[in-house]
Amino acid sequence: MQDQSKDTLTDTDLQDQNLADYQSDLGLTRTQIVRLPGFRTESGFEFQEIEIAYMTVGELSANRDNAILVCHAFSGNAHMAGMDADTGRPGWWDFHVGPGKTIDTNRFFVICSNVIGGCNGSTGPASINPATGERYAMSFPPVTIRDMAKAQTLLMDRLGIDRLFAAIGGSMGGMQAMVWAIDYPDRIRNCIPIASSMAHSAMQIAFNEVGRQAILTDPNWHNGDYYDRDGGTGPEHGLAVARMVGHVTYLSEYSMHRKFGRRLQRPAAPEDIFPAFFSVESYLQYQGESFVRRFDPNSYLYITKALDMFDALNGRASNEVFQYVQARFLVISFESDWLYPPSQSRELVRNLKRANRQATYVNLETPYGHDSFLIKNPEFTRIVQNYLIQDYQRQLQEKKNPGPA
Amino acid sequence: MNQFLYDQVIQRIPADSRVLDLGTGDGSFLERLLQAKQVHGEGVEKDPEMVARCIERGLIVHQGDILDGLDQYGSATFDYVLLIGTFQELLSPELVLRESFRVGRRVILAYMNLAYWRYRFQLMWGGVSPRLEATPLPWYESPNIQFFSIVDFREFCHAKNIVIKENAFFNTFGRVRVLPNFRAREALSVLELGGDQHGRELHGQ
Repeated sequence: MQDQSKDTLTDTDLQDQNLADYQSDLGLTRTQIVRLPGFRTESGFEFQEIEIAYMTVGELSANRDNAILVCHAFSGNAHMAGMDADTGRPGWWDFHVGPGKTIDTNRFFVICSNVIGGCNGSTGPASINPATGERYAMSFPPVTIRDMAKAQTLLMDRLGIDRLFAAIGGSMGGMQAMVWAIDYPDRIRNCIPIASSMAHSAMQIAFNEVGRQAILTDPNWHNGDYYDRDGGTGPEHGLAVARMVGHVTYLSEYSMHRKFGRRLQRPAAPEDIFPAFFSVESYLQYQGESFVRRFDPNSYLYITKALDMFDALNGRASNEVFQYVQARFLVISFESDWLYPPSQSRELVRNLKRANRQATYVNLETPYGHDSFLIKNPEFTRIVQNYLIQDYQRQLQEKKNPGPA
Repeated sequence: MNQFLYDQVIQRIPADSRVLDLGTGDGSFLERLLQAKQVHGEGVEKDPEMVARCIERGLIVHQGDILDGLDQYGSATFDYVLLIGTFQELLSPELVLRESFRVGRRVILAYMNLAYWRYRFQLMWGGVSPRLEATPLPWYESPNIQFFSIVDFREFCHAKNIVIKENAFFNTFGRVRVLPNFRAREALSVLELGGDQHGRELHGQ
């Protein structure tokens, strides 16, 4: 175990932490916006146009065979790596995307886009509906993981990428990668779902419902029309509570014990109701408050619902769903992840293998729970980096000696 | 298992076969097999370090124990299932073999012969239990939990209606044809299910 005093980033992600000294090899980076006309959601809603925020790092090879799509998880965004030129914050996957990193940007052209329904540049409930001139709020159509992947395919069309070398993502990102492999079989060579699931279990839906109820029952939610009200307060409190619950599910007993134990944050103050204020309470409150500054409560509702509704099989037989899949899979789970337990990854592997698809499965011992894919993680890096390099070399070989695979 | 024996396994697998290697270790053998023959090969391995090395070789590997690995696959997925130096480490060897015949048509199994004369002498004159590995470990560190001879294995196959299509026996100097149960250190068997019980359970279940 590494000494925390030497390396305070051992078990922390880059999303909502205080990281004054953090520096990225990529320097300043920026997201861009692409406008995509005529988007029809799975539910049948027709957008005249949607906007998708995205960023790219690295260079597309001459024969366009080195594109890796990074699919972000629930609370992520398009800004995967580098320091955001506007906010100064590091990208959420800066540990793993960059020169010489897990996904080597010297070798690969790496793309990440904010999901539709999100709130970091892509069209979502907080966007203005051009038909009414008002924000969509709850008139925004339900979005699905398949809608998110579809928007990504349109972005790839714009970027001139017919076929991804790989789609990779943790959690909800893994679901998007799965959709790529299932719905767009000839457009993806490798599919790498990490700590993901073919469908949420009752427990996963339950935690999301607690989060949604925290927002829906916040008196400032106002049926979703909180955006331009006088005073400007929305259901921030509900959203913060939702995030606190969510954040606990991303950790493990071990990581919480290691980070906080039973330490007290400070001596009791006269205004405290109770005489003890634990570090873990303070941490969760900070997480909640920090999240509120960057996330729209309505997006929280829409995206958690998209997660809960996702079902890779959608009532079809597994063989039927996977029979056209061409992508090779690398499925990764974490032994300490109790939110997306290894059994869910193994279920995907079993379905793939029973349909005669090629899948490699790795279950890592990383003890930090679901968040294990967001932190610095040498064992994870070793697996993904080598897998990508090996298959990229195989792809080069195949081009030299075209013939039966 | 010595390198010679691995070559013998490779010789017996025709090109274009589909092969599952159970207990694939660091993947060096599977990699050699893929390079030597145009086969489709996958591995099962439980040790995380070994799995990482398999991935460094670009192999398709499933991290899990052997029964878990077999359970991932549909029936009749492979032409050959390999148990090279793995069988004596299994808690439920019979179950593994049954599952192997569900997943594959033939099984190639290589094992150490407990009745090899050196092992007999170790027990008889040294009074110590035989140390079967190439680099002998003391009994409390050895992964081997099943101890059987060529005669034992033949008996086992007979009882379970498994047909030994081919047997080959080896010692450190090469192939052994005379008195294998005494003179051979390692044995390699190509197995099929007897009768037409493919897809059914082994006899006696």
